Amino acid sequence: MEPLLNLNEITFRRGEFALAIDSLQLDSAHLYLLQGPNGAGKSTLLQLLALLLQPQRGTLRYSGRLVDGAADRQRLRRQITLVEQNPFLFDTSVYQNLAFGLRLRDVRGDLQRRRISQALQVVDLEGFEQRRAQELSGGETRRVALARALVLRPQLLLLDEPTAGLDRETLPIFERCLAALPGQGTTVVIAGHDADQPRRLAGTVLELDRGRLVRPSGGPHPLLKETV
Amino acid sequence: MDYILTSLGNALGMIVHLNREVLNAVGTSLYTSLTAIVLASVSGVPCGAAIGLLRFPGRRVVLTLLNTLLALPTVVVGLVLFGLFSRQGPLGTLGLLFTPWAMIVGQVVLSAPIVANYTVAAVAGADPRILPTAQTLGAGRLRGTWQLLLEVRFGVMAAIVAGFGRVIAEVGVAMMLGGNIRGYTRTMTTAIALETSKGEFAFGLALGIVLLSVALFVNLFLHLLQHR
Repeated sequence: MEPLLNLNEITFRRGEFALAIDSLQLDSAHLYLLQGPNGAGKSTLLQLLALLLQPQRGTLRYSGRLVDGAADRQRLRRQITLVEQNPFLFDTSVYQNLAFGLRLRDVRGDLQRRRISQALQVVDLEGFEQRRAQELSGGETRRVALARALVLRPQLLLLDEPTAGLDRETLPIFERCLAALPGQGTTVVIAGHDADQPRRLAGTVLELDRGRLVRPSGGPHPLLKETV
Repeated sequence: MDYILTSLGNALGMIVHLNREVLNAVGTSLYTSLTAIVLASVSGVPCGAAIGLLRFPGRRVVLTLLNTLLALPTVVVGLVLFGLFSRQGPLGTLGLLFTPWAMIVGQVVLSAPIVANYTVAAVAGADPRILPTAQTLGAGRLRGTWQLLLEVRFGVMAAIVAGFGRVIAEVGVAMMLGGNIRGYTRTMTTAIALETSKGEFAFGLALGIVLLSVALFVNLFLHLLQHR
């Protein structure tokens, strides 16, 4: 089966920092845990995978096709969604935040309302449609940001430290949502440095250190091996 | 003091009885200023957004130039455009001199830099997460920029109101390019200048009151929008 995303000989430099990925393959409907210390390059790698940054060197293939040119990147971004660690919600209602990406994909009317309602249910925020997004608490903001990504049903969902700083009530809601996604055909990449997360979310561990993958895709994480 | 009070009474009488001369001047002022600010916004907001968002060689020079244009004396704009529009000038064949359209062109030249400058400031102060958030939800560069402008809408509105304030209150361009023709190019400001010099203080005062009321109304409108 064709991998969803394939990175080859990728180099990205910004100031003193350099990210160099010799080879990385992400399979469809799979969960990956991107781990590593602060400054290892996790956020940069996620932005490269989200096609928000362009590498200076190397190739990126999406479903076997070479990603090339701005139009191609923009088209593919409709299938990839990144949820930042500190997500930004537009200064409008929760409903309008979730409707933003759906409108760009021509999902309107009843179908739009239904999908938004379902996505809010998944993150335990039913009835929040008309709330002002910028008046929500930190945990609610993150849940709305996750719902805004889930409602688009992306092929690839990237999350930058989605559970960092979450309270005990919100953490299981988040992890339950994320663990269910590969079963629905979504590839999920979660960046973070919660050493216990691989145990809670069965997935493949990718480890980054100083801009390099030290544990490429495919190898099971020792923690995972112990628990499986 | 009696003179001022009597004039004020006469001025209010002219407003209440909808004096034709007053109405004509108010109509011309609003028509030219509103048309000019629409044109200045259509050109100034995108220019300001582009300068605020893009990094290009010579950007600092452009910003300095734009700041200089803020202090552009109205009579100098009037003088230069008078040269262009006069019968012997390069644009003389258009027959624009002493028409409302000549005044509109002059007012666009005056207000577009104000709108652009304030938009640059609004865009530069915007949350840096807005554009990547819109992009990762599937928006292209243009749609993302539109979303950013929506997020800083109060700053953009303030830019437009500042531009409108400049053109509705200016005299130089209206006098030099409009010629102060009664019932055709006579605006509130040119009428105030002319009628007061003729000793018609009450008439000038009536127009002054209307001019202040317009400014008050525009600011109230902006205030209401901000609190919606």
